[in-house]
Amino acid sequence: MTCEETKLLVADYVSGEMEGSDELAYEAHLDSCPSCRAETSRVDMLWKDLALLPREEPGGAVRGRFYDTLRAYRQGMDAVPQRRWPVWQMAAAAALLLVGIAAGYLVRPGREVAELREEVTSMRQLVALSLLQQQSASQRLRGVSWAYRAEPNDTEVLDALVTAVNHDTSVNVRLAAVDALHTFAASPATRRAIVESLPRQNTPLVQVALIDLLVDLKEREGTKELRALTVGDSVNDGVKQRALWALEKLQ
Amino acid sequence: MNEVRAGQVGQMAILFERHHRALFRYFVSMHRDRELAEDLVQDVFFRMLRYRASFDATHSFTAWMYQIAHNASLDHMRKQRGNIVDIDEFAERRPEFASQAPGPEEAAVRKQDLKLLGRALDLLPDDKRELLILSRFQGMKYEDIAAVLQCEAATVKVRVYRAVRALEQLFLGLEKEKVS
Repeated sequence: MTCEETKLLVADYVSGEMEGSDELAYEAHLDSCPSCRAETSRVDMLWKDLALLPREEPGGAVRGRFYDTLRAYRQGMDAVPQRRWPVWQMAAAAALLLVGIAAGYLVRPGREVAELREEVTSMRQLVALSLLQQQSASQRLRGVSWAYRAEPNDTEVLDALVTAVNHDTSVNVRLAAVDALHTFAASPATRRAIVESLPRQNTPLVQVALIDLLVDLKEREGTKELRALTVGDSVNDGVKQRALWALEKLQ
Repeated sequence: MNEVRAGQVGQMAILFERHHRALFRYFVSMHRDRELAEDLVQDVFFRMLRYRASFDATHSFTAWMYQIAHNASLDHMRKQRGNIVDIDEFAERRPEFASQAPGPEEAAVRKQDLKLLGRALDLLPDDKRELLILSRFQGMKYEDIAAVLQCEAATVKVRVYRAVRALEQLFLGLEKEKVS
């Protein structure tokens, strides 16, 4: 092993990533080269000292917040009715997905770049919309992730996301759709949809996600809806607190 | 995690108890902000619940968790670009160093060295600091780090080497400053 090779391997050696014959060769070189031995010793000390740096400990509230979230999540899951779908509907769903994939093959070589871009955009839109209509929640989640690839001014995908936020039976899909609305934040229609969706929701997790989104977007139009959440009898305590926090932030 | 994935979300409590401290340290080292680190820890466990179906039992859970943590970190940085915590201000808030040396004088020197090392780590660029945190503090193997950062293990190896070198240079620079 040469000095140059040793220099490249010093981090592997001190971190214990080196094994077997490589390690033996490295150590054999150190035996014969004082300069590399000194260098390895310096880096080794640095590596060991890193482990001595003080360890930050989280505050006690972290645990409480986690268990509150977990409880709310389980309540949300229990509140969602289970659906069963007939086989023919599953087949129709698969066919719709295939339509989406087949649309990808419409992109043929030799076209102008602008046309190609337009087709790719439509394909993304088609796949997102197809998947969002699927019966399986995991497929609809995939649809939401495709929505991120849509154009920020794509009103069809935005409408599909808003429908998912308001009507999807899966809490996970509703939450993922709320996140995806960030992509369309520039549109006033998105902001209006978020504000209008707030009173419709009854799952604490989705309510909190929408409140957070309003704060992220600095959207002050929703203050009336937020105030309503702070006083509602049936509103979860965590949601009330989040709404109060949001009102403070948006002031 | 397999049980959580199968719908027994209550089992997430076990994973929380096992990993939340390490995640907290990862985020504190990355962002130098305790309050933010606590928020991001919540965010990671929430994302793991939400996207539990995407966990692949044939791969490492730790790598998957840190992949989510890495993305949560990036999302935050994208939102907060430009709003950086002052390193000196953060260094003031660091907990005290535990002394490892025998005599009081040696202990003082050692304490000072470790303080400089902590500062050198804070001064490293985010990507290099993250590599050292994952490799040294979280004890992750190159292969798992590669899964977190979506690159090859060989690339991680080279980047860790560069990060160690950069840390060494920063540390030596700070030591020289101290002497002069």
